[in-house]
Amino acid sequence: MRISVGVGVKGIKKAYKGKPVLIDATFAANPGKCVGIVGSNGSGKSTLLSILAGVRKADGGDFLCEDVDLLRCPGMIPRVIGYVPQGEPLMEELTAWDNLCMCCDKRAVKKSLSDGALRLLGVDGFLKVPVRHMSGGMKKRLSIGCSVVSNPKILLLDEPSAALDPVCKENIRRYLEAYKREGGIVVMATHDAQDLELCDDCYILKDGILQAYSYDGDFHKLAEALM
Amino acid sequence: MTNVSGYFFAQLKRALKLAPAQFLADFLICVCAGVLVYLLVAQGAAEAGGTKYRIGMVGDLSDSYLGFGIAALQEMDDSRFMIELVGMPEEEAEDALARGELYAVMRVPDDLMEAVVSGENDSLITYTAAEGQRGLGTMVMGEITEIASTLVTSSQSAIFAMQRVLLDRGRGEELGRATDRLNLSLINLVLSRSGFGEVEILGYADGLSMELYYFCSAFLLFLLLSGLLNCAFFVRRSTALTQFLKARGVGASCQIAGEYLAYLCLVCMGLISLSLPVALLLERGMFGIPEWEGMGAYPFWGFLRTLLPVIFMFAALQFFLFEAAEGIVNGILLQFLCGIGMGYLAGYFYPAAFFPERMQTVGGILPAGAAARYVEEGLSGHARAASLVAVFAYFTLFFALAVLARKKRIGRE
Repeated sequence: MRISVGVGVKGIKKAYKGKPVLIDATFAANPGKCVGIVGSNGSGKSTLLSILAGVRKADGGDFLCEDVDLLRCPGMIPRVIGYVPQGEPLMEELTAWDNLCMCCDKRAVKKSLSDGALRLLGVDGFLKVPVRHMSGGMKKRLSIGCSVVSNPKILLLDEPSAALDPVCKENIRRYLEAYKREGGIVVMATHDAQDLELCDDCYILKDGILQAYSYDGDFHKLAEALM
Repeated sequence: MTNVSGYFFAQLKRALKLAPAQFLADFLICVCAGVLVYLLVAQGAAEAGGTKYRIGMVGDLSDSYLGFGIAALQEMDDSRFMIELVGMPEEEAEDALARGELYAVMRVPDDLMEAVVSGENDSLITYTAAEGQRGLGTMVMGEITEIASTLVTSSQSAIFAMQRVLLDRGRGEELGRATDRLNLSLINLVLSRSGFGEVEILGYADGLSMELYYFCSAFLLFLLLSGLLNCAFFVRRSTALTQFLKARGVGASCQIAGEYLAYLCLVCMGLISLSLPVALLLERGMFGIPEWEGMGAYPFWGFLRTLLPVIFMFAALQFFLFEAAEGIVNGILLQFLCGIGMGYLAGYFYPAAFFPERMQTVGGILPAGAAARYVEEGLSGHARAASLVAVFAYFTLFFALAVLARKKRIGRE
């Protein structure tokens, strides 16, 4: 079990040049659960995740984890959260191994490769390959690997399946299921129906307001709700 | 949790992977620049060699002594590189002067030799310049003519006097040899006139010789433009990585510090790759720098030590420019414009002392000017703390601006 209690996001606010992007965004997630955030392009999904990852500052609100407001203790965030941004946070000239060693000490990387997340993601198969020679799927798996190599309690994923082939999607889905089983909390922004199947709770972000949505597998209905 | 040292070592590894290609680029650019400079200098010298003041000589040039003197000037004297004496009829010379084909006409009066033989100095060579030539050159030529005229008449008078004395004393057999000896003494006196006065060269910027000034400027320009040579370091940088690092606890200032140190290593490696052949050439005395004459490459290593703060500052400047620019192409253009513009104003191409006072002031305030002042003061042994403080102030400013630009980039969608 990675975490004993859940996390709570309460009243997150954010505005760009006076225009509100997030208005009192609130949700909760328990250990072993996955929360999906759906919204049209530019709706503020990435902004919400980047605020929770400590990359951007919120105008207000709390992000509670084990009775600590992470937004007020940003030094705690790297210990608790793994963040996978939309692009690939990798150095193109370096190998997978070099990129992993940048994120964590070598012993932890080796351990994870032998029996941990990196093995599940299949990163051990292309350790010596420079990033610039990797496929999109390999890069995405390595990006996730870089985020989870230090065993975070909460994983924030920004559109993890965008532009990936079905095999790679399945590979990532299997890993996320395993991560959940171990008690990790996943929060992902997505447009992908397959990703949503993995989610225990679904939220729609529209006009800056985050509201719960009961996803029943009907993607057309979801698209209509977003319009 | 990612730490700064881990990020620095990853960037250093990246820099090392880029280094061989960068060294090759450094080498090729330096070779191309060297060949270009050599060709320009050679062409300039050839043009300068071809540009002579043509001076028409009219009048009675039949006297063998006068002809000998003119021939000596044309064949042996340093003035042969600047002045071409052309004998021609008076009318033709006047027409050529009017057409601008001649710079001036020197007129040898018909009775010059008779006057000289009789010991009179009244009949002198006259110098005529075209109308409107009232510049310093004309004045100098006028003076030279007067001196030449006096020398010719005086020396000829001396020769004839000496010949008359020998004949009067019945030593006619010595006439030829004694005339030759006196002629040679007089010619030596004329040709060695550079010893007449002492020339004091003030030098450029804190008294550096022209050679050392340009040597120093070439290195400063190389450092200022090294951002262009090392631009591969700034290619393929993703905003996602900066955001990821921020989430891992590596903030904007730590990111910039890690990247800057790795970049600094790349710049230093480039400088060392350039310095080794330069040191070899210095050992062989190829640059002819008067201040370092006979000392081999020893003073050069001291010069490199002096450059250290400037390397820090220029690397920070390049880092800031690439950080502030949108995309690599804009970054390269910005580097080029800033480098060339600042280098020009700071006197890297021409000594700043040649520029108007206002330009000198602006050039001195700019980072390139502050760097040049600091290095020149160091080389001339008049190092001032204020110059070093100015260099470090610029370094701090550019580093801080780079951090601000990175913060802005991290917050971008």
